Amino acid sequence: MDASAASLGHDSHGHHGPVLQYQPGLPLTRGKLIMWLFLSTEIMFFAALLGSYVVLRFGAAVWPKPHHVHLSEPIGAFNTFVLICSSVTVVLALEAARANKRSLAKIWMLTTLVLGAFFLGIKAYEYSAKFSHGIYPAAPRGLIYERPDLYYGSAVRARLGEPAIIDRMKELDARPETELTSDEVNGRRRLQQVREMAMSADQQAFDLAVIADQVMPLPDDAAGGHGHGGGLNETFPWLQLPIVIPGGNMWASTYFLLTGFHAIHVIVGLIVFGILLLYELGPKHAGMIENAGLYWHFVDLVWIFLFPLLYLF
Amino acid sequence: MPTSPLDDSAAAHGPITAPGHLAEAAVADGDAAAVQPAGHGEESHGSLAQYLAVFAALCFLTTMSFFTYSSYWPWRDEPQVGWAFMMAVSCTKALLVVLFFMHVLWEANWKYVLTIPAAMMAIFLAVMLIPDIGLRNRMVAQERALHMARPADVSLLERAAKAANEGPHHADDHDH
Repeated sequence: MDASAASLGHDSHGHHGPVLQYQPGLPLTRGKLIMWLFLSTEIMFFAALLGSYVVLRFGAAVWPKPHHVHLSEPIGAFNTFVLICSSVTVVLALEAARANKRSLAKIWMLTTLVLGAFFLGIKAYEYSAKFSHGIYPAAPRGLIYERPDLYYGSAVRARLGEPAIIDRMKELDARPETELTSDEVNGRRRLQQVREMAMSADQQAFDLAVIADQVMPLPDDAAGGHGHGGGLNETFPWLQLPIVIPGGNMWASTYFLLTGFHAIHVIVGLIVFGILLLYELGPKHAGMIENAGLYWHFVDLVWIFLFPLLYLF
Repeated sequence: MPTSPLDDSAAAHGPITAPGHLAEAAVADGDAAAVQPAGHGEESHGSLAQYLAVFAALCFLTTMSFFTYSSYWPWRDEPQVGWAFMMAVSCTKALLVVLFFMHVLWEANWKYVLTIPAAMMAIFLAVMLIPDIGLRNRMVAQERALHMARPADVSLLERAAKAANEGPHHADDHDH
């Protein structure tokens, strides 16, 4: 019976006079109850986000292949692994705290924190790779055009007509071939062709597709997805010409929204772990570790669904 | 012994908490909780070996969903097979995490009270969105209709890429 009273989570200090006692409706501590209630709202939050993603993804006429938007599946899979590891370490931290192995609990907690930060670091690397290719959400659009149409052609012309770009291109044209790498020599000639095509009076629809392909080719899946080198935007990063990724704008919106919300959850988890590290991680604070762990497992859970949906579908 | 503070406090609450009844209910709940191995920390929730086994299973399952991306995956031409497979794998992983890492396997019956309604709401929400998949392209804003990509655009780009690979550009690539 003693054990049962303790398991109710009551403060058993009612010996000095009448003390107001909270009567739980459910046999679990208040902190855990609140955490589970919070998690059930989180389930609905992410279900709505993922559901909307699925609608947009499968309702779209065209959706970019992972390689078209420079997604790397191995990096995504590795990040999944990192997050699973951190889930295990937080469980081990809880077990150690319950067994009153305080320093061990602290080590596991610190490992969790490091792994979570590592996950975020990889995520930041992935984000920067997208940004450097001009892939980010913007209204009505950033550099991404969905189709090689006249709007795209005029955007390329407008960019090529900017004074700063004209100056850079003049500078490039003036440089002797010996000063340039073979990529740059090749790129310079292709840039000249693109300029002629973009400015040409009798432009065909196919020309615009060729321009788009020269600026940033969409890698072929059959080529293992690594054939995207050699786009003009890559050879001359200052160029920043508009690019064509069919379905790319919607992709960017959903990708950054989903992973962004997940990353925010990871950051919150790291803050919680940072605070927990300030405490003695013994049985007294096992409840706190358990609640933080529940939250962290949920963050892991969301990623378990995000990874295949975003990287492999 | 532990019932006495409960009774005291129940008496102190007076009419607000309807004394005798709630205290009894709480004790009954307590018994139920004590009978379950769940408890709160007295009994181990899972052994280290168990956690490591779950960890290994999670890693294996991640590899399995990654396998759909590899060239050994036999259904590369039918992506739907891979999608169904990956969703099955993800659900299995989620179940493992929830049952073992979140200790739901060892919890008392309150777990159903919290998780089932939330899961139903989540599923209902997702199901409600399904008709939108079919309707999404039937009615789009003019601005979107003007700018959104169509399969024809993709094939145009593919033809351009092919021409670039076979045509003069490609030859140039190899000259230098």
